[in-house]
Amino acid sequence: MRRVRGPLFPLLRHPVAPLTRTGRVVVCTLLAVWAFLLLVAWSPAHADDAEALPAEGPYFQVAGGDPSIDRLPLKSTRVDVRVAGVIADVTVTQHYRNEGRRPIEARYVFPGSTRAAVHAMQVRLGDRVLHAQIDEKQRARIRHETAKREGKTSALLEQHRPNVFRMNVANILPGDDVQVELRYTELVAPTDGRYEFVFPTVVGPRYHVPATAGGPSHVPATAHLGEGEASNTRFELNLRFASPLPVHELHSTSHAIEVQGEGSAQAEVALNDAGPRNDRDFILAWRLAGERTATGLMLFKGEGRHDDDAGPEGENFFLALVEPPRAIAPSQINPREYVFVVDVSGSMHGHPLATAKTLLRNLIGHLRPSDSFNVLLFSGSSQMLAERPVPATRANIERALATIDAARGGGSTEIVPALRRIAALPKNADVARSVIVVTDGYVTVENQVFELIRRNLGNSNVFAFGIGSAVNRHLIEGIARAGQGEPFIVTKPELAAAQAERLRRMIEAPVLTGLRARFDGLEVYDVEPAALDALPDVLGGRPVVVVGKWRGEPRGHLVLEGRAANGTHSEVVPVGTPDAQAVALRHLWARGRIQQLSDQEALEGGSARRDEITALGLRYSLLTQYTSFIAVDRVVRTGEAAVPVDTPLPLPQGVSKQAIGPAVGVAVPSTPEPAAWLALLVVAVLVGAAVVNRRVW
Amino acid sequence: MAFDLTAASAWERPRAALAALLLPARPAHVIACRPSYLSPLGWLGLQALALWPHGVWLARRAADGSDDPLGLAALAVFAFVLWRMRPQLRIAPQTGWLAGAAALTAIANLALFFAPPLVAALLAAFALGAGMMAWQRADAARAPLVGLLLLALPLLASLQYYGGYPLRLLTAEASTALLQLAGVAAERSGAAMTVRGQLVIVDAPCSGVQMVWMAYFCACAVAALGALPDGAFLRRLPLVGGLVLVGNVLRNTVLVALEARPQGLAPAAHEAIGVAALAAVCAAVLLLMRRSTR
Repeated sequence: MRRVRGPLFPLLRHPVAPLTRTGRVVVCTLLAVWAFLLLVAWSPAHADDAEALPAEGPYFQVAGGDPSIDRLPLKSTRVDVRVAGVIADVTVTQHYRNEGRRPIEARYVFPGSTRAAVHAMQVRLGDRVLHAQIDEKQRARIRHETAKREGKTSALLEQHRPNVFRMNVANILPGDDVQVELRYTELVAPTDGRYEFVFPTVVGPRYHVPATAGGPSHVPATAHLGEGEASNTRFELNLRFASPLPVHELHSTSHAIEVQGEGSAQAEVALNDAGPRNDRDFILAWRLAGERTATGLMLFKGEGRHDDDAGPEGENFFLALVEPPRAIAPSQINPREYVFVVDVSGSMHGHPLATAKTLLRNLIGHLRPSDSFNVLLFSGSSQMLAERPVPATRANIERALATIDAARGGGSTEIVPALRRIAALPKNADVARSVIVVTDGYVTVENQVFELIRRNLGNSNVFAFGIGSAVNRHLIEGIARAGQGEPFIVTKPELAAAQAERLRRMIEAPVLTGLRARFDGLEVYDVEPAALDALPDVLGGRPVVVVGKWRGEPRGHLVLEGRAANGTHSEVVPVGTPDAQAVALRHLWARGRIQQLSDQEALEGGSARRDEITALGLRYSLLTQYTSFIAVDRVVRTGEAAVPVDTPLPLPQGVSKQAIGPAVGVAVPSTPEPAAWLALLVVAVLVGAAVVNRRVW
Repeated sequence: MAFDLTAASAWERPRAALAALLLPARPAHVIACRPSYLSPLGWLGLQALALWPHGVWLARRAADGSDDPLGLAALAVFAFVLWRMRPQLRIAPQTGWLAGAAALTAIANLALFFAPPLVAALLAAFALGAGMMAWQRADAARAPLVGLLLLALPLLASLQYYGGYPLRLLTAEASTALLQLAGVAAERSGAAMTVRGQLVIVDAPCSGVQMVWMAYFCACAVAALGALPDGAFLRRLPLVGGLVLVGNVLRNTVLVALEARPQGLAPAAHEAIGVAALAAVCAAVLLLMRRSTR
């Protein structure tokens, strides 16, 4: 019988026999494998993301992944609006259903109106209703995280920016049907007798420098669908009027609508759009019968004990809404200087930039020869038409329009350096300057912009034009407020001419200046705006709005005085009887006060007004940057960890994929290898052919 | 050794196939007469059974979608080759390798308690490889079969994690140099390239890790099926790495140059170029292995 010997035997000999060539290769291979094992075992680069920095900013959602996870749990959003006079009560119902096989935490970043006072939230979980409580933001977040870990269903609503909210619904179990209902109130003030209600449906992808790269703020990660990809979330909106006067001229510039009962005081509006509905702001405009508006002085009397220690139930509130007189064109128009600041970043590429160009042709094309102007185009860097303002001659206007026409849209949105450049421009003290900012507002540096305008552009009127289907109205309205100008929104090129004309009228003929108000006979306090004897100028057909608290007997009148083009103008509004239904005034007042404190905080920097804002949010049960709504179920429902799922948002109508720039990989081409199955097929064919033809080798 | 295709008929006779698997093979030349009640494949099956926790982990990894289950192809080729060489297996195992296989099997199972699953599975693959060596003739193609066992593991994600970035860097640098030589304005920044002002990123799916797996699979499969001696196979193996690197750099260069055009590149054309590059690399690997057989 042959002696059985293995390869290990020579190693047991003494002395060890020299290795053969194959043996050397085997030893080298084993050493290499051992070194690899050591490398893996002691490598500091473990795939542990426990301490990884959270993702930031907009990104494109990538399809695929674990099929047991429902990646699109938000099935529908229903909006019910009730408009009574100048107050809109809005109920938004988000319907989540988990059609996967694992518990999930649905996260949804969604927009809100800039004027919304979000005051209530409740969660329907099957037959049960969980009422949310307002809580301090950090505490609410801890409560939510604890509930999530314990396996309880929990919903947390946070404000990230004044018009961007985030809903987190944790532990939606497979098959669960969860309806989150949030309620807000907002003031619908008429302009030139025309009312407009806006419901934003989508957050545009905001340009930002990540906090990890030294950016000023953390922006939540927002998943976006690709260009032209529609959201599969159903969107329904119904609006009912409970108006004191018949409603006329109901129309929407954004959506196809179905109107019932137009011309009556109880008209109803529903969406009638077959295509995508939630990729742009819903805008509805109307007038009241006989060119009248539901303005005047509205009072609400609280029913509880009236002192500072009691809750807000005992407080009385008022809202004064006074229409300005009609503007009269002055006989002599002084020359003015205009500076146009135009955003040509990636998010403006295509349709928005085309709209902006039409607007600028209308604005610049109609300047008078005595005016002077300059144009600054900005994206990542900025480009100025001329070093100094140039006279509005035909040649200069043509040159400016040619420069604007050459812009294609691309790159980042560095609005702050652009405004700094404007602030540094030398100014002729004899000529009034108007700065006109044209942008979609897809940035995250709103507070820096407001502060810059307040500090450095105080000697100019700053007007802001929001361009696009889902404009960041917080930026546009904030710029106008900080720069004592007016906000304008242009959703389509065909609306540009009318808005340009409105600006011209406004600049040429301010309606009321040196405006002051006083209450005779009615004791008022905590009034917004606080300085009643120096109210801001009224530039357009927008009414003067004053909100505050009152005590004592409801009697006397409000007197409003100012200088109009044809002399002193005075308006007297009598105090009527309190309206028991006007409880919304409580939220509107608190919202106004929080807005004012937030503006101050933005100017002072840091979070100096944090305590005041938190106290207001908690007292009046309002969502603020420092208070959140939280609803937690009492029942422990699962022991399995919930998988976080970000609900993807569609790109706003007309916005191209360039809005999500090169900072995110999807927009940049790469060179991936072919699909694995295809590669394997090729290799199998080659190996098969080689084996079959082995004799030919 | 001739490659016998007639045995494929065994598949048509399941009972005979089962008997062949469990009972000792009847080789043409009896070289030992030690009594044996279980065939070598039966022994190997028992060893594989002892390593069942690793099998369960492999199956779970193959199904969870975290990695393309390419390992199944390697496992299938391994099983096929082993089945084909069944008549040539020894009657009496080499005790050294057998002892090594037993020890490695024990270590692989113990490793489940302290090592990452992939490392434990790597030990299990070596254990199975040692077990296979104990039954194989010294001149048989053993190294390619061990290679197939290693390729059966879900290696791609780990390779991508540890080796992906250096490969991307190398590819981007070489592609930049090639484009510059061709007179195209190109520069590299990290693993991204700017070509004619257009940013193109060499991200994880471009690293060539999949091509590495495919080329080694190709080498192991053809060497195992062609019964290439271990020495010749191992000496040629490092060249496969070089071929992959060159192939991936060329693929990346062509794609980057075309992607940087204003009109970009159609996805089908992209896929076709990738497939052509892979086919060229694999054909070169096959030629490499063919030459060594002579």
